[in-house]
Amino acid sequence: MLFFRSEARVNEWCRDRQSPVRPLVTIDQLWGLALAWYATRLKPESRRPRAGEMVEIFAGLGLTGEFWDPESRL
Amino acid sequence: MSGGIGPGSADLDLEVKLAVYRHFAVTGMRPTADQVARDVATDISSVMEAYVRLRAQRVLLLEPDGASIRMAPPFSGVPTQHVVEAGAVTYFANCAWDALGIPAALGMPATVRSRCEQSFEPLHMDVGMEGPGRSDWVFHCLVPAARWWEDLAFT
Repeated sequence: MLFFRSEARVNEWCRDRQSPVRPLVTIDQLWGLALAWYATRLKPESRRPRAGEMVEIFAGLGLTGEFWDPESRL
Repeated sequence: MSGGIGPGSADLDLEVKLAVYRHFAVTGMRPTADQVARDVATDISSVMEAYVRLRAQRVLLLEPDGASIRMAPPFSGVPTQHVVEAGAVTYFANCAWDALGIPAALGMPATVRSRCEQSFEPLHMDVGMEGPGRSDWVFHCLVPAARWWEDLAFT
């Protein structure tokens, strides 16, 4: 889970490692993920999202498809 | 009898989890098992047993010694390239996601310093209460969501 300066740098990094290019996430989307996962993390009632909740969070941020499905066999 | 924090209890696990997170939030560093034991007024072996249960719940990731905390997401127990400064404290994040997760968890403005993993161009990102400003940097994750916890350090 890494930062890249641009999509071109992601493509180079994946090519160098012969790895697939995965869906890109914008910084706005990443802030949405950070809030969803961690905004209550220091509070007693905090817990990790369950699989179905994860799918809803991802979809709410426009992140859909098998890559974002925690129950996928991808 | 009720309300006690006995060995193996859910209450103990919660107290241990909160003590770990409080320590990270205040110091930026991982606590030792001994520090956690003192914070929750129990013995070290009970803390270690709680660590195992919290690992099973995907709350903590432990070092191979079973006693040192590698990750209490979003906090890292070891230095990484993702450095977050908030207030007067310096934190290390486990990954790019967690770098923004630290200001989200603390509920306070922060500065994130990291890098482009391909070009090593430095990233300097100010994060306010409403999040980061406009940025054309991107985030990329190689591992699909279903496999994130198979090897969290790699993910």
